[in-house]
Amino acid sequence: MMKSKFTGVQRRNLTGWLFLLPATILIFAMSFYPMVQALLLSFQTGVGNNLQWGGLSNYKRLLEDTVFTTSIKNNFFYLIIQVPVMLVLALILASLLNKKDLKCKGLFRTAIFLPCCTALVSYSIIFKTLFSYDGYVNTVLLNLGLIDSRINWLGQTGTAKIIIIIALIWRWTGYNMVFYLAGLQNIDDSLYEAARIDGAGPIKTFFSITVPLLRPTILLTTIMSINGTLQLFDESVNLTNGGPANSTLTMSHYIFKTSFEYNSQFGYAAAMSYVIFILVAILSFIQMKVGDKR
Amino acid sequence: MKKKLISVLLAAAMAVSVTACGGDANGTTATEPAGETAGSTESADAAGDAGSADGQTLTVWCWDAFNMDAMKEAARIYQQDHPDVTIDVQETLSADIQTLVQTYAMSGELDALPDIFLMDDQVFAKYLQNYPEVFADLTDSGINFGDFAPSKVANSVADGKNYGIPYDSNTVIACYRTDYLEQAGYTIEDMTDITWDEFITIGEDVKEKTGMPMLTNVQGEPDLLNMILQSAGISVFDEEGKISLVGNDGLKEAMNVYMELVEKGLLQEQTDWSGYQGSINNGTVVGTINGSWICSTIMSTDQGEQAGNWAVTNMPKLNDYAGATNYSAQGGSTWAISSTCSNYDLAVDFFNTTWAGSTEFYDNILVGLGAIGTYLPAADSEAYNEASDYFGGEAIYAKIVSYGSNIPTINKGIYWTEEKNALGVALSNVLSGAADLDAAIEEAQSTVEFTVGQ
Repeated sequence: MMKSKFTGVQRRNLTGWLFLLPATILIFAMSFYPMVQALLLSFQTGVGNNLQWGGLSNYKRLLEDTVFTTSIKNNFFYLIIQVPVMLVLALILASLLNKKDLKCKGLFRTAIFLPCCTALVSYSIIFKTLFSYDGYVNTVLLNLGLIDSRINWLGQTGTAKIIIIIALIWRWTGYNMVFYLAGLQNIDDSLYEAARIDGAGPIKTFFSITVPLLRPTILLTTIMSINGTLQLFDESVNLTNGGPANSTLTMSHYIFKTSFEYNSQFGYAAAMSYVIFILVAILSFIQMKVGDKR
Repeated sequence: MKKKLISVLLAAAMAVSVTACGGDANGTTATEPAGETAGSTESADAAGDAGSADGQTLTVWCWDAFNMDAMKEAARIYQQDHPDVTIDVQETLSADIQTLVQTYAMSGELDALPDIFLMDDQVFAKYLQNYPEVFADLTDSGINFGDFAPSKVANSVADGKNYGIPYDSNTVIACYRTDYLEQAGYTIEDMTDITWDEFITIGEDVKEKTGMPMLTNVQGEPDLLNMILQSAGISVFDEEGKISLVGNDGLKEAMNVYMELVEKGLLQEQTDWSGYQGSINNGTVVGTINGSWICSTIMSTDQGEQAGNWAVTNMPKLNDYAGATNYSAQGGSTWAISSTCSNYDLAVDFFNTTWAGSTEFYDNILVGLGAIGTYLPAADSEAYNEASDYFGGEAIYAKIVSYGSNIPTINKGIYWTEEKNALGVALSNVLSGAADLDAAIEEAQSTVEFTVGQ
């Protein structure tokens, strides 16, 4: 009976669609529908539930919002400093750990990947405890005689930013390293052998073989890291609560504040989310154009 | 192309996971471990379905071991006559209650609210104005609001209707370690009825001799500044609730005092609330100035030697500023019954029997927990005159109650969080040398105006 209705190709297509259906429905319900709702919300103004149609007024307002500008600057500060440092570090670690003659490889790999298993909030709190005024770092430095008086690490603009960056690198380097390790497994050993025979040193090999062949993985990790950094939230909230003087406040944290700490302006918060969305889209697009030459 | 697709999908997955992780940030601002609050009714699953089918269970959200124990004591008293009623006290942090109430109100899922919840006085008015549908009207419930301190009741009134049952006192007290003061040659009398200038002189001397700062504070959250402001009757909002920082001489003077304290190392800024609590409990600070509810924090130390070495007095006043007093208010909270309460009559009867009708109950929580209510009939109780061994054998509760009537009233708005944040930024900027005081105040004013504008 079925045979008469569908040809073989149609049936195969149908099976494919059936497999896709659950995931598609979920993505539509959990991601796309809220996204459309958020877009509509971003055109409304008002406090709490009393929302009126405001057109583009939220977006106009964004241009004058000095706090939002500060938060964008902070995000890009993290992005420009942290992402390259982290990715280079991950790449170096990955190629070191990929060496055939290295002992205890599993141990090292696990140790470097382990931070990724820590919940974002927990590790933020641990870093905060470490760097607090009466904390471990101050005590150690003081006892070693490296500093004369305790430093308020998280209470000063410069140091607070640096600590967030250190925390991010600690948390995410291992994660990116795993991608590189996986990528490295796909590179044929004969290439390295050939290079060795031709007299290329380890640095030359790294730049002429490893990096070019890992390009797709590097692209992937860069996009993911940029995306993650632009949406940074936990560290800003838990480590510094955005302070001092908003100098570590991230965009997502400001959105949270506008929605839940201040008299909630969900429309305005939604407009800010869309700015992040557009920023991520643009940056990813540029990355793909520049990075993917195939 | 395939790789591109995968990378996009992975990027999307990453985005989702990052956002998802944001949600659990709320649970981390725990200010006090609920250590001693044993009991099977306790449940961490605050977001769970709070309603009950039989109507004989009342679910309560509140924070801190101190508040939870007070509620459990009320439950114990009520259950003596109503053995079949269960009061399910669920620990929910103040910030979480605010977020949850807001989320449920926005989504219209009011059924998910508990029957009763505690709300911080500083945000009660804001929630009442923005989400009136959350609160049950208690005006004709039979609860006698005349039995509570009027300033406290006023906080939960909108359009002449009552929406809250006042709970703890917000009278500000200054607590000092007498053993530290002694080391520097001072007594608690030297700290009583003084001005901030005198405080700074003494503080510098104490710091020199003990190496300890006089006070600590959570950085970026200048609660102390707001206490100084109210002590001198300085409003940062005008009568219509609009922010008024620029040209506010009192504010400038108060900020100068605050910054002098920080610059001279007398006020050590801590990164968060647990750092603040830690400084008190670990004995790395001479004293603290806060709402009288801070007594329970002071007593929660594991350093036995602190017992008996604390003393309570009034806070310093703003020098020769007209209207300056030694009294102020900070914090405090109020109970609310939710509009979707499973059994409104039961909840009202529960409150009428305990929180709004039992002096025995207030005596118990005062003696047992150090909780000072605002229920006026309880103020004549003998329990208030009981000496507290922890605070050098003094009857501190009677003292705190006597402070209460001297607190100046100021205009308060619903934009308290915005104001506190903006002033925190202003203070940080001036202290770090990034701006001068006038420019910082101007910036704070425009930030608040911008934030509340639409």
